[in-house]
Amino acid sequence: MPPRIDAPFVEKVLVAFIRDEFARCRCAKGLLGLSGGLDSAVCAALAARALGPDNVLALIMPYGKAFPEDVRDAAGLARRLGLRHETIDIAPQIDAYFASRPKASRLRRGNKMARERMSVLYDRSAAEGGLVLGTSNKTELLIGYGTIYGDMACAINPMGDLYKTQVRELARHLRVPAAIREKTPTAGLWPGQTDEGEIGLSYEELDTILYGLVEGRKGRDAVVAEGHRPAAVDRVIRLIRRSEFKRHLPPIAKLSARSVGHDFLYPYDREG
Amino acid sequence: MKIALAQIAPRLGDVEANVEAHLGILAKARRQKAELVVFPELGLTGYTLKDLVEEVAMDPAGDPRFLRIVAATKGLAAVVGFVEESPSGRGLFHNAAAFLADGRLLHVHRKVFLPTNGMFEEAKFFAQGREFRAFEAPFGRAGLLICRDFLHYGASYVHYAAGADMIICISAAPGRGVEGGDAFGTSRMWELMGEAVAYFSTAFVVYGNRVGTEDGVTFAGGSFVFGPGGRRLAQAAYVDPDLLVCRIDLADVREARRKRLFKRDEKPEVVWRSLERIVRAAED
Repeated sequence: MPPRIDAPFVEKVLVAFIRDEFARCRCAKGLLGLSGGLDSAVCAALAARALGPDNVLALIMPYGKAFPEDVRDAAGLARRLGLRHETIDIAPQIDAYFASRPKASRLRRGNKMARERMSVLYDRSAAEGGLVLGTSNKTELLIGYGTIYGDMACAINPMGDLYKTQVRELARHLRVPAAIREKTPTAGLWPGQTDEGEIGLSYEELDTILYGLVEGRKGRDAVVAEGHRPAAVDRVIRLIRRSEFKRHLPPIAKLSARSVGHDFLYPYDREG
Repeated sequence: MKIALAQIAPRLGDVEANVEAHLGILAKARRQKAELVVFPELGLTGYTLKDLVEEVAMDPAGDPRFLRIVAATKGLAAVVGFVEESPSGRGLFHNAAAFLADGRLLHVHRKVFLPTNGMFEEAKFFAQGREFRAFEAPFGRAGLLICRDFLHYGASYVHYAAGADMIICISAAPGRGVEGGDAFGTSRMWELMGEAVAYFSTAFVVYGNRVGTEDGVTFAGGSFVFGPGGRRLAQAAYVDPDLLVCRIDLADVREARRKRLFKRDEKPEVVWRSLERIVRAAED
């Protein structure tokens, strides 16, 4: 397993990070999509502490009547944290689009829903003059378990260097309700989907393998020698390699002496 | 003697605002009777500069913004971190530390070890310094280092061999590792070196780090002072801004060197000859 985190210290660092980023943009308001799951709950709790609950708008964006308990848990959490929140059903947009594409796979439909939620969040962020907070954790980012330009899209991401198992620890410290913490993780792309079922590994095993490969800088054989199934390690390595594109801006074909992305290099956080 | 460690969060790329902040802290430290104020690495510019380096560079002997800070050191001393472009090194930009005292520029150190790996890319944007040179400060002999310089112990050794009473390291050290306690794991690395260098150099070690965040990176704070006996005399907050004022007794250097004879028995000529042989062999 990745090492235990000192949750109060992590909270302090992440709250300061959120405050600094918002102060630099002279922006008081934050928005995020609240799914009823663990990651967005933790992000909401951090945002409420950093910005004040009145400055956080949580959008709950179900597809029709799917996942009613998630909608209930998300609304309950928003009320508990004192966040402004709103429920927006994305079924009309999704159904209109797929009406003429009835054979679309459930993966295509799920990805379209993730991008629809992104589109609503960005529209509302313009209306509110706010920034979108990202909720992708390190485990997801490393294996590419997220929809590019969907749930991965955000202005800042406070959670991206915490493995899923570490997000659970932080959730306990932030007093996220047990109903959310103990829920089976799902991307909610279709009913019955679970992360661990789809990835084929428990988060505990996945995070342990990732930690060995990433922080430990170990090779495949060294991680297998720690007692992991070779097939599991190979699968994780394949997932990391196949998702590299999700962790970059697209490459720009270089032609000139100084090009965006190659040698026109400025910090994100410039001030003054 | 009183030392103030100005553990600030500079504004990235905003020299004017950082100059004002430095002037404010100098005034405050003066009211607290500090005789030396230590600001962090690149405190006048922020750290994650990339292509901003040449936009924020200053000639410490001629830039009016820098001269305001020099003038504000009447009656005290300060170490400030900035990007240097000197008239003799036009087009060369250094990550630099200036020692100012009583309204004069006494010494400039240019960072020698520019970390360029993983999250660090200093050698992409800065020219490399080529020397460690101790100098006479108002309170005794001092040596300057910048951040990674300090983690290469040969750098401190040069100052020690030159007879420095005080080794001052200014830093913009990012925090990594959140496994325990109220500090980043990497803070321990700096304290370990600080304690060891102070103890075996029988000199004061003053480490001034910064705080704040830039592009997702949090700077770890935790500035400190170790005495020549290896005892920690002051410890600033981790992660949070601080202005830590600490009293030191310069006579402790004599006291430590009387009791522990490392300095008396040091043989820099043997080290030098041995190093020379190693360097020659590496070049062959």
